[in-house]
Amino acid sequence: MTARLAFDVAAGLAIFFACVMVVHRHPVKSVLALVVSFFALAVTYVLLSAPLIAAVQVIVYAGAILVLFLFVLMLLNVPAEVRQTPGRPIHHTLSAGAIVAFAAALLAALRSYGATAAPPSPAPSDPGDLAPLARLLFSDHLLSFEALSILLLAALVGAFTLARREGSP
Amino acid sequence: MSGADLGIAALRVLAPVLAILIVLPMLQWVERRGAGLIQDRPGPNRVGPFGLLQPVADVVKFFMKEDLIPSNADRFLYVLAPGLAAFAAMTTFAVIPYGATLSVGGRVIPLVGADVSIGILYLFALTSLSVYGIVLAGWSSNNKFSLMGGIRSSAQIISYELAMTTAAAGVVLAASSFRLTEVVVRQGGSWFALPFRGWNVVPQFVGFVVFFVSAFAETNRLPFDLPEAEAELVAGYHTEYSAMKFAMFYMSEYINVIVVSALTVTLYFGGWTLPGLSPAGIGGVLLSVLVFALKTSFVVWVFMWVRWTLPRFRYDQLMRLGWKALLPLALLNLFWVAALVVWKVL
Repeated sequence: MTARLAFDVAAGLAIFFACVMVVHRHPVKSVLALVVSFFALAVTYVLLSAPLIAAVQVIVYAGAILVLFLFVLMLLNVPAEVRQTPGRPIHHTLSAGAIVAFAAALLAALRSYGATAAPPSPAPSDPGDLAPLARLLFSDHLLSFEALSILLLAALVGAFTLARREGSP
Repeated sequence: MSGADLGIAALRVLAPVLAILIVLPMLQWVERRGAGLIQDRPGPNRVGPFGLLQPVADVVKFFMKEDLIPSNADRFLYVLAPGLAAFAAMTTFAVIPYGATLSVGGRVIPLVGADVSIGILYLFALTSLSVYGIVLAGWSSNNKFSLMGGIRSSAQIISYELAMTTAAAGVVLAASSFRLTEVVVRQGGSWFALPFRGWNVVPQFVGFVVFFVSAFAETNRLPFDLPEAEAELVAGYHTEYSAMKFAMFYMSEYINVIVVSALTVTLYFGGWTLPGLSPAGIGGVLLSVLVFALKTSFVVWVFMWVRWTLPRFRYDQLMRLGWKALLPLALLNLFWVAALVVWKVL
């Protein structure tokens, strides 16, 4: 029961700070809201007995990627956004319609999932045990795993090429 | 869970934190007297015998000072930042085992705050969050020197974290577990028979060097204290801070030094184990705690020793060292450990 309550609170915080991230007009504050959101998400992972995923989530997203975001924002010293002239009524109507349609689609998908989903499999005896995950990654999913690493390498080389200016060595 | 169990659990978690908080003011005395020793000058020697009461005077001074908030600072983040830094520093010690398992009155008490299955990952997750305290302090102060310190800190910590975790991956590979208790127990075996079960520093010396050098960068200690760099940036990220807010940054730096030293001892120097020492009975367990404390104190002293011996790196040198020397060495170490594991040497 307590676990359920903690899960609801953490999930609620994650959603709330995700909204703050979108709405806030200062980019640095947005990044911070995202950090809190990711941290709350990690808490939900722990409560779903997946501490490994939680640790990876915090290390990779909160600890590395968002620090990089913050670094770029501070380097450019991006100021708070100034509110633009209000859009035309048609814009408001369209965005409200899109939100309602998306929420409806999400609700429908969740309902059908709840009806067909298998009961959750029992948690492994040691949820932090990496061996089963590693075995899966290097046997059943070896091809996609390696393909992903090649994709990342290509992205790295691409970024390097773009960052290099014309004429410089 | 009965009341006694709850009390023991609380004691297990709080004991190392209290020990650290008690040692903290002393460390500052050791650092200043040590600096005096190395630089051939007396150091603080006016307050009390050998200047031993200097830390007390400093603490009182911190409490009495005026607590300023710059008028153009982002107040919320400015106040939050030192708290974040101290929080991240204090919570990291929870997973480091500081003694052998104690059995008293039918109870088995492992001397570690929480023996979680993802021990090392938990530590790296929290240390990677510690950068936010520094970065936010730099940004929210609304001061260009502070901002420069914060920016430097974020780039530096991302770069060195990579080398540090890759070096630690070698230890994980050798112990085939993320649990720090298992990492320690595994180093308490035979030194002269295969598979090797002694301290990790012997087969993984390269990994140890990479880890230790990165540890200096992660804790912002000289020769890598570029976020502070008082010669160029006034005082870096904490230029605008005064009174207890400054003291919290100061404390978190020393706590980080203790934690990183304890981690170095745990990963590479056998934690609380000592060849020839078998932790039987209460005396043995206390001895193991003492062994751990002595090893950690020595590494802490090395941190201070290095600080007063080496000059500061230039920023481009720091980046070059991190990416072009430490990271390849860490990867090489990982391959080496993997080969040793395959050859059944480890």
